[in-house]
Amino acid sequence: MSDTGRYLYAIARGIGGEDLAGIRGLRDVPLRLIEHHGLTAVVSEVDLEEFGEAGLRRNLEDLGWLEEVARTHNEVVHAVATKAPTAPLRLATIYRDDDGVRARLEQWHDALQQTLSRVEGCMEWSVKAFTAARTEPSPAPESTGGGAGTAYLMRRKAETAQREVAAEEAAALADEIHAVISQQVVASRRLPPQDRRLAHYEGTMTLNGAYLVDDTAVDDFRSAVQQLSAQHPDSRLDLQGPWPPYSFTTLDDT
Amino acid sequence: MTEVSARTTAEVESQPIALVDLLDRLLGTGVVLAGDITISLAGVDLVEVRLHALITSVRADMAEQR
Repeated sequence: MSDTGRYLYAIARGIGGEDLAGIRGLRDVPLRLIEHHGLTAVVSEVDLEEFGEAGLRRNLEDLGWLEEVARTHNEVVHAVATKAPTAPLRLATIYRDDDGVRARLEQWHDALQQTLSRVEGCMEWSVKAFTAARTEPSPAPESTGGGAGTAYLMRRKAETAQREVAAEEAAALADEIHAVISQQVVASRRLPPQDRRLAHYEGTMTLNGAYLVDDTAVDDFRSAVQQLSAQHPDSRLDLQGPWPPYSFTTLDDT
Repeated sequence: MTEVSARTTAEVESQPIALVDLLDRLLGTGVVLAGDITISLAGVDLVEVRLHALITSVRADMAEQR
């Protein structure tokens, strides 16, 4: 039989096996919990042929593989996060054995405890803002002889200036929307705007915000976003969630 | 009256999670080590897959598929 490792999904506080009944790990393998000084690591066994160094190098380039692993990872983390304060691990964090996981829990203990206290009772929500594309093609220059070339250039220049102003206005509006939402939440963070070819949206993504929202304040949060949406009909706001607190559990240098 | 094609927030919430949203979080955030995916064996970090290189190749693949 080939070697196995431990795939680490998340570290939580106060979670028991009964909380994860019915949730399976990667490749339909049962989840296991590893306890250490008040912290619980959620793991499952993986084949190191597939998840070891060479396997990961090969498989991470396979989009189908990546998607399947990412979705399972998220399902497990999500299930944990709905039951207990949770620090999700980044995709593909693998240890040789339980002792390796315990050593990590020991090393991260204080920072993890602080992080878990910060996200307790909260989930992450995403708000993205989009503005309409401003890419109207300029009409072909009229051929009226002398001066047409100059007029064309001037019109182009004016259009460029207009687009710059529009981009600045859109960025300022995104800043404002982010600031207003940030006042309503426990913590906030801006992720880089997504590549349009991947995310398939119209226009320009001006905000890709992550917000840590107390579970008891979700209705207010949602209303605030809808109100902002109504106030700014030129922008489209997409609200998505709840996510496990992925963006708010990053540990400082370990 | 003109039909507005923009999705409302309520509709977006119930949609399945897009892979790009997932990777934003699973690769870009979470408990991380120095900005890279680290594969640890026996508690010793043996492999660091450069995240940016990975994302670049993923994006190229995804763009091709669509």
